[in-house]
Amino acid sequence: MDNSNCQVYEDEIQSLEEEIKQLAELYEDSQQESTFFSDEEILMSIKSFQREFRRESKGHQSDLKAQLESLERDLSFLMKFTGIQFTSHSKKTVEKTGNRTVQKHRLSGNCHSLSFQIEFQLLEMQNKENVSAVISDLSIVMESGEDSDMSKFVSSTEEHGNLVTLFRSLSSYAEWHEHRRRTFLHFK
Amino acid sequence: GVLTHLEMLEARAYEAAVKQEETEQQGEKLARLKERARELRRQRDELRAKVELQQKGQGGKEGALSDPAQPSARAVLEWKIKSLKAMLQMFYLTGISGKLTKRGVCFCVSTAYEGTYLDSYHLDLLTQPEVQIYRHSVPTFIPLEQVAKKYLQTDIRRFLSVLSDHLNAYAGRRYQADQLQEHFSDQLEGTLQRNSLCNLLVFNYHVSNQSETFLFNVRLLYGDLCCCLPTEVTVSCTPGAPACLAATAAAHSDLFRRTALHKAFRSFRRAEENVD
Repeated sequence: MDNSNCQVYEDEIQSLEEEIKQLAELYEDSQQESTFFSDEEILMSIKSFQREFRRESKGHQSDLKAQLESLERDLSFLMKFTGIQFTSHSKKTVEKTGNRTVQKHRLSGNCHSLSFQIEFQLLEMQNKENVSAVISDLSIVMESGEDSDMSKFVSSTEEHGNLVTLFRSLSSYAEWHEHRRRTFLHFK
Repeated sequence: GVLTHLEMLEARAYEAAVKQEETEQQGEKLARLKERARELRRQRDELRAKVELQQKGQGGKEGALSDPAQPSARAVLEWKIKSLKAMLQMFYLTGISGKLTKRGVCFCVSTAYEGTYLDSYHLDLLTQPEVQIYRHSVPTFIPLEQVAKKYLQTDIRRFLSVLSDHLNAYAGRRYQADQLQEHFSDQLEGTLQRNSLCNLLVFNYHVSNQSETFLFNVRLLYGDLCCCLPTEVTVSCTPGAPACLAATAAAHSDLFRRTALHKAFRSFRRAEENVD
C-alpha cells in the first residue's frame, strides 16, 4: 500500500538526517581535537584576520577577535581566582549517538603549587531542558604522590569522586601546606 | 430520466479522474521520498567513511584539516575559541566557574554527587563600590545571607567554597533521597517525607524476617548542613515486633550513619537476594 510505503521512507529519511547530523558533529569534534595551533600561530591569525576585513565595514568580522579576547580574560581570571592553572587539555570524542556524547579527557596543571595530571571519561546526555554529565574512570596522578594522606585521598577520589571534591580538597591541602611551609620558614 | 443518468455518469467520471490524479500524486511522492532517502544514504555513507578515516589516524596537520593547504585565519581563530570554551567547561567540572561582566563577575557553582553532576547555581556579583550579590539562583533554604555576611567582604574565595560546601551537601542529600524513591520504592512503605533542605527524612520500609515482613520507621536528621551523612538516626520497629529485630534495627541505624542512603538499601536488597 502506498501510504505505508511513504511512511517507511519518511521514517528512514528522518533517521538518516539525524545520523548525518551526528556524524557531521563527530567529524568536526575530531577535527578540533586532533588539531593544534601555537600561540604564535593564533597571534598571526588575529593580525591577518584583521587585515583581511579591515576594508569591509561589517561589524561581525571583529566579533571573533572580541570573542577570543573575552574568553581569554574569563579563563585568566578563573585561573587566578581559583588557583587552578590548567597547562594542557586534550580530549577525544569516542562516541556520539542519539543524545549521548562520550569523551575522554586529559587535563594537567597545578592547583596552587601542587601539580596534577588527571584523565577521565565524560558522558553527556541531552535531555529536554539541559545536559546531564557523568564522570567515570577518573585517574589522578599527583606530583607529590609520596604523601600517604595524599595517596589515600587520591585513591578514594578516583573510586567515587568527581572534580569538585578533588579540587576542593586540593585547594584546602595546598592552603594547609603553604601555611605549614610559611610557619617553618618563620622558625628558620 | 436521461439527464439524471448523464449527471451520474459525469459524477462517476469526475470521481475516477480525481482518484487517478491522487494515485499519480502518491506515486510521485513515493518516488521523491525514495530518491531523497537514497541521496541521504549516500551522504551518510560518505560521512561514515570520512569519520572512519579520521579515527584511524591522521598524518599530522595534513590529515587533521580537510584541505591540506594553510588553514584560513578564521579557521584558526575558530579553533582557538572552541578550545578555550572546552577549557572553561573543565572549570565547570571543578565546581567553580564564571565569566566577567561589565560590573563584576557572574559565578557558577556546580554540584556533583560521586560521578554525577547535579544542578548548578549562579551568583551575579557586583564589585563596586563593594562586593554585593546582585542576582542569584541559590534556593532560599540555603543560608546564603549568613555565609555572605561572614565572608563576602573579606574573602570571596572562602565565601564561594563555603557556599559550594552547602550546595554540594544539599545536592548530595537530595540525590540520595531521589535515588531511594526511584530505585527502591518496592522496599518503602508509604511516602518518603522530606523537607526542602533534605536534611530531615522520615519514612517506613520493609524488613523481612524469614517468613514475616515487618515495618521499620526511620528518622534521619542531617545536623551538619555541609555533610551528606546524617548526624542523628532513629530506627524503630512497630511495637510488638520480635525482640531479635531490635538488633537488626540497631545494625541498620549504624549503617545509615555511615553509608549513603541508596547504597544502604542496595545492600539490603542484595542481602535479601542472597537469602533467596
